[in-house]
Amino acid sequence: MEDEAFTDINGKAISLDCHSHSGFCREFTVSSPKVSVGKVMVYTCCVWLLAYTVFFFTQNTAVLSSAILITLVGMMFHIHFVKVDHESLLVIGSLGIQVSSCYASGRETTTFIEMSKIKDIVINEAIYMHQIIYYLCVLLKDPAEPKAVSSVVPLFQSSKPRLNCLVKVYKSCQEILSKC
Amino acid sequence: MAHDALFHAKTMGLNTVFTDHSLFGFADVSSVLTNKLLTVTLCDTNHTVCVSYTSKENTVLRATLNPEIVSVIPNAVDPTDFTPDPSQRQDDRITIVVISRLVYRKGIDLLGGIIPELCLKHPDLHFLIGGEGPKRIVLEEVREKYQLHDRVRLLGALEHKDVRGVLVQGHIFLNTSLTEAFCMAIVEGASCGLQVVSTRVGGIPEVLPEDLITLCEPTVRSLCAGLETVIARQRSGSVPSPYSIHACVQNLYTWRNVAERTEKVYDRVSREEVLPLHRRLRRLRSHCGPVAGSIFAFSAVLDFLFLLLLQWLVPDRVMDVAVDATGPHGLWRQEQSGEAGGTKQAAESDIS
Repeated sequence: MEDEAFTDINGKAISLDCHSHSGFCREFTVSSPKVSVGKVMVYTCCVWLLAYTVFFFTQNTAVLSSAILITLVGMMFHIHFVKVDHESLLVIGSLGIQVSSCYASGRETTTFIEMSKIKDIVINEAIYMHQIIYYLCVLLKDPAEPKAVSSVVPLFQSSKPRLNCLVKVYKSCQEILSKC
Repeated sequence: MAHDALFHAKTMGLNTVFTDHSLFGFADVSSVLTNKLLTVTLCDTNHTVCVSYTSKENTVLRATLNPEIVSVIPNAVDPTDFTPDPSQRQDDRITIVVISRLVYRKGIDLLGGIIPELCLKHPDLHFLIGGEGPKRIVLEEVREKYQLHDRVRLLGALEHKDVRGVLVQGHIFLNTSLTEAFCMAIVEGASCGLQVVSTRVGGIPEVLPEDLITLCEPTVRSLCAGLETVIARQRSGSVPSPYSIHACVQNLYTWRNVAERTEKVYDRVSREEVLPLHRRLRRLRSHCGPVAGSIFAFSAVLDFLFLLLLQWLVPDRVMDVAVDATGPHGLWRQEQSGEAGGTKQAAESDIS
């Protein structure tokens, strides 16, 4: 229900929405900033100007039509496969957790991890490009071997919130996980 | 790369500590230039750590440092990893183990001279040599020439986890290095209960007490004589048992001791101030000579301007600061015993 001023690792503003459906079921949604019209205009103008310059020298109209096609296809590809609108984490005590990503075109991908496979949800550090960032991840275990961590699933990979946001989500998750 | 990192750290205003692990020469042109570079890097470093007193002397002379800011903290060995196992040895013969990189610096040429002489005198002597390098060909030639294929085994490159398995198969550990600041290998050999024979170079005399090591001059004759005495002692059975040697070494070098001493250095350094840019430039120019000092003062200014550019591109406020690993109110310090319950409760309270 809260919506303080959180940012992601690059300094862009994101928003966190914590919704408590019941005592043992909570949902956290991290929303990234929307596709900005200004940026789209700038990219489109650059590509078209470039195409026009090439046309000016080669006098080949195929350059212009291909530039238009590339821009359209590129934009569609971007909003359908690349641009994430919001990511959510649904924690249901003693059942499991559901991680879903919703893209700008409306496409949604969902993964469910059952509670018997979950060892813990922790904040870990990682080297990402030229910096070290904190990220929230789920530690998975093989039910046959409860002591060992079999794999790690990072959460909020596209929005990459900073530590203050992660700590809030972490504390809330731990309240539920510790009860079951 | 360490020099690079130190240079940038000082531009960013961080305290710096440099640890030196090797000895270097003074004589040839490349050494002179490297030593000059070291002088420049260390002139405004807060503290330096060396692994032996010989290494301290070497570093202080090379970089014209103030000896007060150089500490000596030796390396250690994990005694639980390197335990003796006399059952792995073959008692009908005497095995000499050598584990090192097969390069000139490690005295492999000396080894190539010792092997035929000793193998001729002692028919039950065997050599077990682990490690790879360009000088492997010397040892293979010696083996070919004197037909010692069954008595000299060359194991090639060894993984770290396999080293102990090779060491326990021997009675004597031989180290023939021509220069060494602090030799980890002889401590590992002694920890596995072997008799150690080594050349008296660099920091080696400081490493083990007199009764655990036999020191020789770095010549074939001296090493042969040293090995002969140890072989005779081994034959007569007057050597201390591997377990007693291991017990002795276990108390000499522990990682806990090294960690405590290093922590003291870091605590001391964290209280010192870092030189601001103008004082740093003045120190570079006064301490390092006119030419090198001016060049590096210029680089320091360029580095500072580059830092300003980077701070504009990726502002400091965007980056998360490292969380204190001792936990809130020092809950996760080593002295505390409760782990799982303590960490969960600690996480509930406010971390930032």
